[in-house]
Amino acid sequence: MLDTTALESFPSLISHGINVAGEISAPPSFQLPNSNDFDGFVKETIQMVKPAKGTTTLAFIFKEGVMVAADSRASMGGYISSHSVKKIIEINPYMLGTMAGGAADCQFWHRNLGIKCRLHELANKRRISVTGASKLLANILYSYRGMGLSVGTMIAGWDETGPGLYYVDSEGGRLKGNRFSVGSGSPYAYGVLDSGYKYDMSVEEASELARRAIYHATFRDGASGGVASVYYVGPTGWKKLSGDDVGELHYHYNPVTPSTVEQEMVEAAGP
Amino acid sequence: MSIFEYNGSALVAMVGKNCFAIASDRRLGVQLQTIATDFQRISKIHDKLFIGLSGLATDSQTLYQRLVFRHKLYQLREECDMKPETFASLVSSMQYEKRFGPYFCQPVIAGLGDDDKPFICTMDAIGAKELAKDFVVAGTASESLYGACESMFKPDMEAEELFETISQALLSSVDRDCLSGWGGHVYVVTPTEVKERILKGRMD
Repeated sequence: MLDTTALESFPSLISHGINVAGEISAPPSFQLPNSNDFDGFVKETIQMVKPAKGTTTLAFIFKEGVMVAADSRASMGGYISSHSVKKIIEINPYMLGTMAGGAADCQFWHRNLGIKCRLHELANKRRISVTGASKLLANILYSYRGMGLSVGTMIAGWDETGPGLYYVDSEGGRLKGNRFSVGSGSPYAYGVLDSGYKYDMSVEEASELARRAIYHATFRDGASGGVASVYYVGPTGWKKLSGDDVGELHYHYNPVTPSTVEQEMVEAAGP
Repeated sequence: MSIFEYNGSALVAMVGKNCFAIASDRRLGVQLQTIATDFQRISKIHDKLFIGLSGLATDSQTLYQRLVFRHKLYQLREECDMKPETFASLVSSMQYEKRFGPYFCQPVIAGLGDDDKPFICTMDAIGAKELAKDFVVAGTASESLYGACESMFKPDMEAEELFETISQALLSSVDRDCLSGWGGHVYVVTPTEVKERILKGRMD
C-alpha cells in the first residue's frame, strides 16, 4: 500500500454534480495528469528523471563516530545545472541523509522522514533510532517501487547504541554497513576510501580521508564536482567540518612545480 | 548520450588584429569517466595553419592523419604551403566523401592567409563550412562557448588581449560542461611567432 501521509487531498476534476462536501471527504492522493496516454506519459517522466545518479556521496563509521561527505554538482545530461547543491540533508540535529539520484525525490522524502522522526519523538518521548528511521524511509520507498522514484541515500546518525549507518534506495533495498559510497563517482571514491580506511582514526584523519576520496571521484567522474563537503556525526550530533572547492584541492594535492627550462629566450632589445 | 558526446571536447577560435588564437580543452573521456587530462586536440598543419578537431577522438585522429598526408602531397606538387581557404575546402570535400558514413568530427580551422589576414572557419560532420569574421566554436560545450564568446569578444584585439579573452571564454564555458575541461591549451599565432600556452583550470 502506498504511503499517503505526506499528501493533500485532490478530489477528481470531473465534478459529479454540486457536492460541496466532496472537497473535504476525498481520500488523499497524488494528482494524476489528464492525458490520453497515461502509461506513455508516465514512462517519459520516469526516463526524464532516471539517468545517471550523477554524483559522489560517501559515509563510513569509525572509532569516533560517522563521517559523511559529498560533492555538490547537479548535471542534466552533459550540462552542469548547478555547482552548489546541498547533497547532505540535515534530517534532525543528530541524523544526516545523503542525496543521490533525483534531487526533488531526495529532498521531499528526507523532509518527510524528518517529520516522521519528530512525530515519533513526541509520541514515544524518546528519539528514534537510526535503525528505525532508515526502516521508515525504506518502507515508504518500497511502496512506491516501480513508479520512477530515483533515490540512493545513506542515513547516518548517532543513537543510544552508538553510531549507525544504513544505505536505502528507491528499489526498496536497505543495508546496514560500515562503509558506503553512492553515485556515478562511487567506484573512484571506494578505491581511495577502502585503501585508506582504518577503524582507529582520529576525526582529523577521517575527515581528510573523506575529502580525498571525494576529490579523486570528482577528478575522474564527469558528473561530480564543485565543493567537497565533509560532515561528522558524533555523540552530540552532527557538525560540518569543511567545504573545500575541488578545483583548488587539486592544486593543493598536486602543487605546480615550474619545469626546468633548457634554453630561455631573451626579449630582443627595442628598436 | 550521442556519439559526438562520447569523448567530450571543447574548441574555440578567435580573430584578432593580424593574429588569431585557437584553444581547446585537454580532457579525453569515455562517457563520464576521465581517461586522460593531456589530450591534444589542436594540431599544426604548417606554421600559419592550425586545425582543431572536436567530436569522436578516434575519428579526429584518423582525419588529422589523412589531412597531413594530403597536405604533404600538395607541398610536393605545388612547392608551397596550402592557404587556409584552400585547406578548408579540402577538409570539407573529404568529409562529404563520407556523406553516408561520416567521420564524427567537427573541425575548427584557423590560419593566416594572403597578407597575413586571419582566417577561421568551422564545419559540421559532413563538411558544411561556416565562415566567421569573429569567432567559431565546436564541441560538447559549444552552447556555453557561443554565449561566452558573444559577450567577451571585441574586434581588432592585440595578441595578449586576445589570449586573455579566449582563455576566459574557454574556461568559463567548460566549467558548465561535465564532459570537457580539465585544463586548456591555447595557441596564439601572429605573422612572426606562435605562442603555445597551457591553462590551469578546474580539474573536476
